[in-house]
Order: sequence, then C-alpha cells, then structure tokens
Amino acid sequence: MDLNLLVGGEAGQGVQTVSGALSTILQRSGYFVFSIEDYQSRIRGGHNFTQVRFSTTPRRAALKKVDILACLNEETYDLHREKVQPEGWILGAIKNEDTYSPHLLPLNFEEIAKSVGNKIFANVVAIGAILGILGLDLRNADSYLEENFARKGEEIVEKNKQALRRGRDAVIPYVSSPLIEETEKRNSPLLALDGNQALGWGALLSGCQFYSAYPMTPSTGILNFISSHAKEYGVVVEQAEDEISAINMAIGASYAGARAMTGTSGGGFCLMSEGLGLAGMTETPIVIVDAQRPGPSTGLPTRTSQGDLEFIIHASHDEFPRFVFAPREPQEAINLVIRAFNLTQKYQVPVIILSDQYLADSKWTYENLEVKERPDTPQFPSFPFPYRRYLLSPSGVSPLAIPGLSKALVVADSDEHDEFGHLTEDLNLRVKMHQKRMRKKEIMREEIHLPYYREGKDLTLVGWGSTWGVIEEVGERLKAEGINSGIIHFSEIYPLPLKIEELFSQAPHPIVIENNYGGQLANLLERELKTSFPLRINSYNGRPFLVEELFSQVKEVRKNG
Amino acid sequence: MGNPFDSQVEIAWCPGCGNFGILRALKGALTELNFSPEEVVLVSGIGQAAKLPHYITTNVFNGLHGRSIPVALAVKTVNPRLLVIAESGDGCMYGEGGNHFLHALRRNPDITVIVHNNQVYGLTKGQASPTSEEGFVSKAQPWGNMSTPLNPLSLAISQDASFVARGFSGDVDKLKDIIKEALTWKGFSLIDVLQPCVTFNRVNTFSWYKERVYYLDDSYQPEDRIKALEKSLEWGDKIPLGVIYRHQRPTFQDKVYSQIKKEDLIYRGVDFDKLLVEGLKLFT
Repeated sequence: MDLNLLVGGEAGQGVQTVSGALSTILQRSGYFVFSIEDYQSRIRGGHNFTQVRFSTTPRRAALKKVDILACLNEETYDLHREKVQPEGWILGAIKNEDTYSPHLLPLNFEEIAKSVGNKIFANVVAIGAILGILGLDLRNADSYLEENFARKGEEIVEKNKQALRRGRDAVIPYVSSPLIEETEKRNSPLLALDGNQALGWGALLSGCQFYSAYPMTPSTGILNFISSHAKEYGVVVEQAEDEISAINMAIGASYAGARAMTGTSGGGFCLMSEGLGLAGMTETPIVIVDAQRPGPSTGLPTRTSQGDLEFIIHASHDEFPRFVFAPREPQEAINLVIRAFNLTQKYQVPVIILSDQYLADSKWTYENLEVKERPDTPQFPSFPFPYRRYLLSPSGVSPLAIPGLSKALVVADSDEHDEFGHLTEDLNLRVKMHQKRMRKKEIMREEIHLPYYREGKDLTLVGWGSTWGVIEEVGERLKAEGINSGIIHFSEIYPLPLKIEELFSQAPHPIVIENNYGGQLANLLERELKTSFPLRINSYNGRPFLVEELFSQVKEVRKNG
Repeated sequence: MGNPFDSQVEIAWCPGCGNFGILRALKGALTELNFSPEEVVLVSGIGQAAKLPHYITTNVFNGLHGRSIPVALAVKTVNPRLLVIAESGDGCMYGEGGNHFLHALRRNPDITVIVHNNQVYGLTKGQASPTSEEGFVSKAQPWGNMSTPLNPLSLAISQDASFVARGFSGDVDKLKDIIKEALTWKGFSLIDVLQPCVTFNRVNTFSWYKERVYYLDDSYQPEDRIKALEKSLEWGDKIPLGVIYRHQRPTFQDKVYSQIKKEDLIYRGVDFDKLLVEGLKLFT
C-alpha cells in the first residue's frame, strides 16, 4: 500500500490543520508518513496544499499521483483533479456538474459542522470524512482531539469528536471496502519529524547554549523549536534586529565560551556574509544554517531551491576555510548538527549547514532515530599570561582560551593580527597568518566523510542534500525497468573529501541532479576533479523533484546522453 | 607599581588626538575600580577609536565596523561576571551600527558603550559623520553636509535608555569619574565623549569645545526624563557634560536568567542520553 493524500485550500482555511492531524493520526496508527508543504507567502487567501504520503513501509519522497484529494475550496479541485488516480477519491468542495472520478463526493464540510453547532468544526469534519474513506478506526483520532482541545474544555472535545463522526458517517455509504491496509503491530511508536525540528533538536543535543536569529522563511521553524525548549535545555535564544546582529551575537557568545548557532535563509545569509568572514578571521567557532529558497533577492519565500551552494562555498571576501554540510533527511540533520558543533570547535572554522524549504517542511517517519554522533566534551584549559591566541602552529589550529576563565587574556581581531591577536601591518606576518588559517583546509579534507555510494552498472545518479530520498526511489523504479543505476550522494560537500576522484572513476555515466539552474555541484566537481559532468538534470521551479517527474527526466537524459 | 592595564603595543593615533584622553580616563577608571585585566572584555568596531582596546592590556574583541554592540551583548549574556565595554567612534556606533544601537536601547544589556564622538570620519580621512554639523565641508561633501546631526543623547533618553552621559576627552579626570559611574551602573550605559579630531575636523576643535562645555551641578536631577530630554537638546553656545539621564530597569541579562538556570552557562553540559530519550517523545 502506498497512498497519497492531497489537502488543498486557501491560506487560513486550515489546510495544515487537516493534513497535520491526519499525518499524526496515521503515524500513531503505525503508518510511515512522508508529507510536504506547498504554500504561498501570505496569511490569508491564495492556494496552499499539503501532500501526505503514507504506507506500511518507509517512504522518502513525494509523489505526483494522488489517491485522495480533499478540497477545502473549489479551486483545489480545479488545480489538482487531474493528478487523481482512476480509482482515487475526491471529496469536499466539488462543482456538481463535473463527473471526473468514480469516487466523487461533494461534501459541504461547513454545513455538516453546523449540525454539531458551529462551522468552526469544518476541518474536523473533513478529517473524519478522510478517515472514513480510509476505513481507519477513530481511536487515534479521538486521542489526538483530546490532546489538542483539552484546554478548551470537555464540551469542545466532545463536539469535535461528534464532528469527526459526522464527517465519517457522510462518506460511509459510498465506501465498499476500506482503502487502507492493516499495518504490522509495533512495540514502540513511530517517530516523525521535519527538517527544521531535526536541526533544532540536533542543536539541543549538541549542548547549544546560544541561538540568535532573525525570522526568515523557511528557517524560522528552527528558531521556534529551540525557543520552545530553551527553558528546559538552558539555551539563550534571542531574536536579533537583523541577520547582521544575529551572527555577531552568535560570534560574541562563542568568543565568551558558549556553543553558538544562528539560522537564516539565503537573503539573510547575504547579510551574514560579513560576519562569516569575521568568524573566519577571528577563528571563532560557529554553526550557521542556511535554509535555501529560490532567489535572487526575495525570490519565492516559501518555495524550495538548492541555489546557494556556490555562494556558501565562496561567501565573504578573500579566502578562509569552512565546512559545508547538507543533510539528506531529518535523521541525518540531527547527526550533522552534532558533527558541525564538534568540528567548528576542533578546527575553529565556521560550519554551514545547507537545508532548504523542502527538507525544512517535509516530515519523515522512522522506526528508530539513529543518533550516532556524540557531542565532544567542552574543554576549558587554563593558559598562562601572555597567551598567544593565534599561535603559528603546524596544523594551523591554535589553542583556544575563553576570556575570564584563566589569566590568559584573549585578544581577537578582525584586522590581520599577530600571534597575540593585536592588529599588524607586518606583511611577512600577514603571509604567515594567512597560511596558518588556510592550511587547516588540508586536515579538514581528511575529516570529511565520503558521499553515500551505491554501485550501478548502467548509470550513476549524483546529488546532494535533500534530493537523496527521491533519487533513491527513482533508482528503485529504474531497477524495475531493468536499468541498474548507482548513486553518489553528498551530505558533506565542502571541502571535497579525499579519494573522491577514485569514487567517480568507477561510476559510469554520472547524471548530476540539482534544484538549481547552473548545476552548482556539477560545476564544483568539474573544477576540483578536472573531469566534465555533461549529464545534468536541473529544476528551479520552486518545487521539489517528484518521483514520477524525475524518473522520466532520468530516462530522457539516458536516451539522449 | 605600574597600571596593570598599561600596554606595550605601539599607538597608531595622530599626536594630540582626543583618543589619548579617553584611553587615559578608561584605564584610570578600571584601575580605581580595582578590576583586573582578565575580568574585563573590551569590544570595538572599526575606526581610529576602535583601535583603543589594543592599547589596554585586557581581553579584546576587535570586530567589524558597526557591530560591537551585538558582540558585547552576547559576551555579557554568556558570562555575566565579565565587565563588558563596547567602544568605538560616532561613525561606527551611530552610522554603520545605528540599528544595533537603537535595539540595545530597547534590550538594556548590562554593558557600557563609550562613543568617541569627534563629528567626523577619521580613519577614512575626513568625511562627514552622523554627528557632523549641517554644512560641514569635506572632500566627500564639497558643498557641505546636507543632513542635520544626529542627537544620540536625545535619542537614547527618548527610548528610556538606562544611563546616558556626555564627557569631554579634554578633561581626563572628570571623564574618568563619568566612566566609573557608568561601569558600576547596572544596565545599558551610554557615554558620548566629545573629542577633537586634530587632523580632519577644523570646526569642532579643542578650543571650540573648551569654550562651550560646562558640567551639570548637584542641583540637576538626572532621574527626570522630560528635564533630561530638554537638557539633551542643549547644543551650541553651551554644551552640558555629566550624567544627563538615569533610570534603573531590569537588564537583558536579568530577564534571560529569570527564564533559564542561573548557574554558569558555559560550564553547563548536556546529559546526552537523557536528552535523547526525552527528545524522542517529542516526535511520537
């Protein structure tokens, strides 16, 4: 069983209420849920939709085909009905004259809700109707309603339960057999989380003590998640006046000894690039998340993109080393944040984590969350006076002291500086200091993990970050057609790991798949590996790759390439 | 015995620069208040004034142009035991860093901000600054500065800044006393220090200031916000010096630590295994 539900409506109508409730109810009923959000940059009106894919086995990508289309308004029907499968269902606000699907259920959720006493129960009626089509018992739905409405009193909880049943009862006469298949009994509950929650939780697990950010879609979920747990975990969270302040606060906090992080999207990162250089020059540890969205400039605030890779690798003037990571999925995001905190401390270079709207807002379901990384124990060594903050060490990494903890006076400077941190115009010293910073890059390359690799005889699908799940599934579909595809997929991108040449030398016909126009990973590989990557699939329409679409694009490239 | 804050670093200011007076006053204040160098963090931006921390033996964060306040706020928040001073020039604090200055007034972090206000850009050789007089002529403003000067004191008082003072670099002893008062004040303290630029400001010279400045006497009540606002507007023939406004209110750090545990933030570790188990519940 592999079903895809699409709930659509205007902003403010409750698309996320309906789809959020359903994905939680399905998850708690033991189904693997994969959901994506497609919304406009507005609070009311327009058209938003959520797709909830659910199955008895784990799913890692979004589909184009729809099995159940729930229309909170008529526009949803017009926009999405063609995706509905021949055996699929359409319910809700449907124009009566149309007879498109065999399972067409025009339902006025608000009218049904009024029979319970108020049209505000319309969304719960819709949830009930969808559960009715699925044939799922209402136990988990009831407990979900109890949890969410308990604070409004018993009466409201009861009315919601009634609304749920009215919704279900409205569809029951048309359902001959339940759509949903039974799933196996589980000993422990399934876990579901989106990319933003994963990044936030990863920060808490890392012992992050300071998070400063300016709200910007699609990164705001990280700020919200950390804020809502700041008190119990002891994290200072501050909403800065702008991204410039956000990154400078995080750098100041790190200088004073805290594990500090900031998060933003591409436009905010533009403002942060000055601060990124400051972290590079002062060699102050910091973790920065860039949740990408299409640009340039304001672009498409609520859509997805992988357009920032080349910018992030080069951001800020002149040269300094940095790590760039891009998690493939929420579970890996947790691990990569922990790793980012460890590595920023170890090498005293900024670590940038590239997320995107697709990863930020998509919910993945797991049987277990594997958190393999462990945060390093913070060290507070004492140093005698005088202390050389920028000791010209063989590795390029100098011992890091924290002000106020010993007699060591910590002098950090954005100017070129001497070993003590004082500004200098001695150009011989400048050369030595620049070499000291830059030689860290060589040992950093040894630290980087090789990309995810699966051998394939016919072709190799290459990607980075959030595209992993869809590429995996396309690989499975290719296999079913007798095409043996391999995968090379990066989540630790920069600096490129050692032995990457070897990996590519044994990979036939690499096709580089990216959510950008230029092929930014492909360009990076061409530059560093000195080989060409002519086969590329690029999408920059603001939406993630859908399984069916990418599948046909790969076949197309294979035919022509 | 020498001053523990004395430094051997070569000073790069012009001879006769007003910055020297501010440096002497600050070192004097730190010594008289019995601070030791490891307890103090000096945060600065970029400009001639922002070089000052290098000339004092203490902890230093010489960051970006305009960005000293966010750094200082974070340092003080992470380790409230440190004495944190942000200092820089008028261009850095009121121009490039204007937004941060504005929001520091709202947040009330327990830091002292010392602004070397010479009404001109020194390091970039003489352009008008946010506090330059209207009509001020420079290479960049050959027909005269077209904007009126920012009044940082009125701005700060209007936003209920916790402590607002003005000093004069030509009077080191009195400036030292004002700095001492600001450093011991709990909350955001601003000292706007009038300072001649001997190279690029031929209008607001040492004698120009000397003829105009006067100290507020004991009859002046700096707790009255409206009177303070009035006093802050006095500029021209007579320029008041001293503490112009003060109002104790909860600091940013007080508010942060009323929410999270008071014990030292940086030493606070994570009970990883416990967090891992508890956290999983969030996602069921």
